[in-house]
Amino acid sequence: MTQKKSFNMVDIKHQKILLFWAAAITIYGIVFYYAPLVGWLMAFQNYKPVTGLLHSEFIGLGKFKLLFSDVTFLRVIRNTLAMGVINLAVTFFMAILFAILLNEMASKGGKKVVQTISYLPHFLSWIIVTGILHDALSGTGIINTLLMHFGTISQPINFFAHEKYFWPIVAFANVWKETGWNAIIYLAAITSIDPSLYEAASIDGAGRWAKIKNVTLPGIKPTIMILLLMNVGNVLNAGFEIQYLLGNGLVQNVSQTIDIYVLKWGISQGDYSIGTAAGIFKSVVSIILIVFFNHIAKKHGEERLF
Amino acid sequence: MKKKIVSAVLCAAMLSSMFAGCGKTAGSGGAVNKDGIKEFTAFFAVPGSEINDDNEIQQIIAEKTGCKVKETWLTGQTAEEAVGTLIAGGEYPDFVEAGSGSVQMYEAGALVALDDYIDKYPNIKEYFTEQEWDALRQSDGHIYWIPQFSNIYGEERACTHNDEAFWIQARVLEWAGYPKIETMDEYFDLIESYNKENPTMDDGTENIPYTILCDDWRYFCLENAPEFLDGYPNDGSVIVDPDTMKIVDYNTTPTAKKYFQKLNEEYKKGIVDPESFTQTYDEYIAKLSSGRVLGMIDQWWDFAYTAEDAIKSAGLDEKGCQYVPLPITIEKGMKNQWHNSGGVLNVSSGLAITTSCQDVEGALQFVNDLLDQDIHDLRFWGVKDVDYKVGDDGMYYRTPEMRKQQADTAYKASHVCSYSYFPQYSGTSRDGKNAMKSDGQEQEFFDGLSEPIKKCFEAYGAQTYVEMLGTSEAPGPWYPMYTYSSTMTTSTPGGTAWAKMGEIKHQYLPKVVMSEDFEKGWNEYMGVYEECKPEDFISEMQTELERRVEEAAKYEGGSKKK
Amino acid sequence: MDQTSSSLVSFAGTTESKEVTKVKAKKRKKISGADLAFRICNGLFMIIFVVVTLYPVLNTLAVSLNDGTDALRGGIYLIPRVFTMKNYETVLAKDNLVTGAFITVSRTILGTLLALVTNAILAFIVSRKNFIFAKQVSLFWVITMYVNGGLIPTFLLFKSLGLTNSFAVYIIPGMISAFNMLVIRTYMRGIPDSLEESAQLDGAGYTTIFLKIISPLCKPVYATVALFVAVGQWNSWFDAMLYNRMASQYTTLQYELMKLLSSVSNQSSSAEAMKNAGEGSVTPTSVRAAATIVTMLPIICIYPFLQKYFVTGLTLGGVKE
Repeated sequence: MTQKKSFNMVDIKHQKILLFWAAAITIYGIVFYYAPLVGWLMAFQNYKPVTGLLHSEFIGLGKFKLLFSDVTFLRVIRNTLAMGVINLAVTFFMAILFAILLNEMASKGGKKVVQTISYLPHFLSWIIVTGILHDALSGTGIINTLLMHFGTISQPINFFAHEKYFWPIVAFANVWKETGWNAIIYLAAITSIDPSLYEAASIDGAGRWAKIKNVTLPGIKPTIMILLLMNVGNVLNAGFEIQYLLGNGLVQNVSQTIDIYVLKWGISQGDYSIGTAAGIFKSVVSIILIVFFNHIAKKHGEERLF
Repeated sequence: MKKKIVSAVLCAAMLSSMFAGCGKTAGSGGAVNKDGIKEFTAFFAVPGSEINDDNEIQQIIAEKTGCKVKETWLTGQTAEEAVGTLIAGGEYPDFVEAGSGSVQMYEAGALVALDDYIDKYPNIKEYFTEQEWDALRQSDGHIYWIPQFSNIYGEERACTHNDEAFWIQARVLEWAGYPKIETMDEYFDLIESYNKENPTMDDGTENIPYTILCDDWRYFCLENAPEFLDGYPNDGSVIVDPDTMKIVDYNTTPTAKKYFQKLNEEYKKGIVDPESFTQTYDEYIAKLSSGRVLGMIDQWWDFAYTAEDAIKSAGLDEKGCQYVPLPITIEKGMKNQWHNSGGVLNVSSGLAITTSCQDVEGALQFVNDLLDQDIHDLRFWGVKDVDYKVGDDGMYYRTPEMRKQQADTAYKASHVCSYSYFPQYSGTSRDGKNAMKSDGQEQEFFDGLSEPIKKCFEAYGAQTYVEMLGTSEAPGPWYPMYTYSSTMTTSTPGGTAWAKMGEIKHQYLPKVVMSEDFEKGWNEYMGVYEECKPEDFISEMQTELERRVEEAAKYEGGSKKK
Repeated sequence: MDQTSSSLVSFAGTTESKEVTKVKAKKRKKISGADLAFRICNGLFMIIFVVVTLYPVLNTLAVSLNDGTDALRGGIYLIPRVFTMKNYETVLAKDNLVTGAFITVSRTILGTLLALVTNAILAFIVSRKNFIFAKQVSLFWVITMYVNGGLIPTFLLFKSLGLTNSFAVYIIPGMISAFNMLVIRTYMRGIPDSLEESAQLDGAGYTTIFLKIISPLCKPVYATVALFVAVGQWNSWFDAMLYNRMASQYTTLQYELMKLLSSVSNQSSSAEAMKNAGEGSVTPTSVRAAATIVTMLPIICIYPFLQKYFVTGLTLGGVKE
């Protein structure tokens, strides 16, 4: 209620229509997004579908204790965070870079063709992408063949047998699949930049780099900030499928994410409660992260979420 | 004014669509359609192929029995999730096979007790013995589901060894003059010497002497060989010592250590494929399909329908690149139990009828009808003269065109309807000659074999894959123990230990095989393995074993009636 | 900066952008050395980028046109080794595909329209600087991105709202998403307040401002969000499986394809399931490839129509403050 100062009858009258729609949409949000959160009760129960939410046995924080006393879970958090942060940084950087460079392309036709091609891998499922990746990185795959050809290595590297390669491979796969798609949003943002700013910069004698730095980047900065803030909240959702498909026993120390852990120890064991507990943990961390970074953004006068 | 209209319209659209389509409830209960056919619904918590609505054999069966079942299968979910939402929703299809969620369905009171009905349906009654029916009773003393598989009618007809074995390419055996191979050492010696003489295929690609599939749950190809090497059957998660009636952990036996030590040696020699532990199932199948892999451990069904088919289609079968199983044990002269006769009664799940079904009798009548010989033939052989022919001697056979047609996905969807998750028989048909299912028909089997395999069988005096290994009597009444371990959850200490053991084995067994210093690697593995408290698991398995044996003892002394 | 709304809207037209291209064209004649180097590097980068991203797509295409059993042997890169249309036949022979396609197209169109309208309204509301609850409403929606009640409670909710076994379940529940709303909001915030102020002086209400002033300027971001929603709608199948499993009249294209895939795929751990999945000349890999291409094609066809909004771009002209 920090807004109370501006809260007066004139405003209400004036904003009647806004208030009406805001109320309608909020009711929608409560029904479809907040009502299912009763399900969080499961985390404090020994939930059985048979007894349902209302009659399952309450066990308090038992499931949380179980999670946090398990060393595996702690390691899984580390993996998820690490991959989340690496992926976020790399895919973010690549999408912005790609959008800017694409925008700098002189040929309009080329621009369209490149962009059309760039987003296509988004439509391939992870199972296809990881299949191709496995091929490319196998002992006789293109990467090993190239490395051997240039004499960098004498023996083929078994990329999937070493823990140190796993995170970079996952990051690369994400970039490969999503760069073009992620760039769409920046390309849309670039369209909102006033061309006269470029002209003015040219007149001031700015070169290409100066224009990118002083016009393009500031122009898409609000979009970058908003996406960054949103995605910071998602670092714990580093994924499931790709790690599941690329992982194996030898690298499971670094490959397992929270979602894989939950599937292994929760759902596939018929234990919904532990999955819900992990979900609540992720939600809490996400919300803390965005509140924190939102505060920082506010302090620096940047675009923010709320 | 205009803005009000706009917002009113939008708002109305929003609300109306919000409440539109309060649909009908999930279809249930043998409603009669316009052709006078009762329609049931079924959900199977396993992946499977859906057949077309206008499927021909389904239509024929519907005309004969007056019933039709619309089947749906698991897609993109685990069985537990699917069953969980079913229970939460409280509406069920008429038939259900809940897989590992069966007990949940029972506990939710979603299933109809079948024991009062069974006597009325002769085919269903005949399907199991009293003892078997009793084994299906749940804690409240009632029977809720009927396991569908591995029920043998008449004489057993097994041509392929469907289960696990050490496999080797026919060309390797031919090169060595079909020697007798009984132990792991002999097996690897043979592979080594063959590979030394013939390091490449005809086209120059290098052979892969031995590979191990290790992808996810398929790591049984690495993990469970010790139970077989010691001459025990596939109890899956443990060994049962039939003399002392004690559960033995096969992960820690001296045989297990010897087996992994051998793999370690072979790994260092370059015989074991260095990509073994990182390859995916697809890559493994690709390697097998290329004909480069000389040998491996696997279950037949895990590679036969993919790699063996690819080998055939590439013409590599004539070069002896198909696989035959070998009866290998850890020492010479031991009895092996890679193949056991008799069906496996998996009591943990089966076909059930739900409380949403409004015509339980009609549903059971349909199950009964499906076991009639003529309907069973339609399910597993097809339509006479379209899918099979009958010889003068009354034997069913297929022409090569028919065989090809049977493998066509589109044909299967539009024509074939086996109601594959309803009760069914294997073994010999009621006519006493034919096999219940086409894959048990010996002549059919032989016609499909390639020359090198026939030659190999001849050399060993065998006629089928099964005879390559020899058959053992069905193990005791407890068998198989995996039907219990697969239902364990982390809610018990034993289940937790079982899950942890799996994790540790996934991680450490590859390391052990790849380790520079085997002893050190093995000791490290044993150290972390012990931390999982395998004794908790073993003791729960022991309790179950005793329960099963006790249960079976009630029927001893001639009470076995059929 | 006291332009009226009507002149502003027309400002976003084509005359200005043509001028800009002319200016650019003039400049092209005097390319500096550094500029040339940049262009070459950029061109090279784009070529590498295209090759790398196009490869998996072309590979999928090649696999989809190759005999399934043969493809098991691996080694297919850009050209099918044993050409066949069998995989496509298998995909297209799937029962219910026509119903599924109809439902998918309907949900894509309706769902996209509805989502676009509602998200735009919400974004409009929260981007009004003087709206008294702007911050609270934003926070309310931001939180929805990170919380999730889980499968079963959601299922129960939809069931009690009568959304199971209905078409509405495809378009109502996911209609408003915080992500899309925030993307639009960011764009709207970039539009100068002066537009709204001058319109208000002219006596325009919020509805007019939204429809006549803000929305026409938001075409690029609307196109972007429409694309996101449409692709999501087009690809989704889980809701069809979960909520309309028994209502086959509401099946979707992707659900039918998923069923086909999971029936030919052998991710199951028993002999029965393997047999049931069965032998045949099609395999999971090849059918998946064909299904992927079938799914992708319509999107590839529609994309250029949307693309013009965010590649070429509208020109706001001198409306920035």
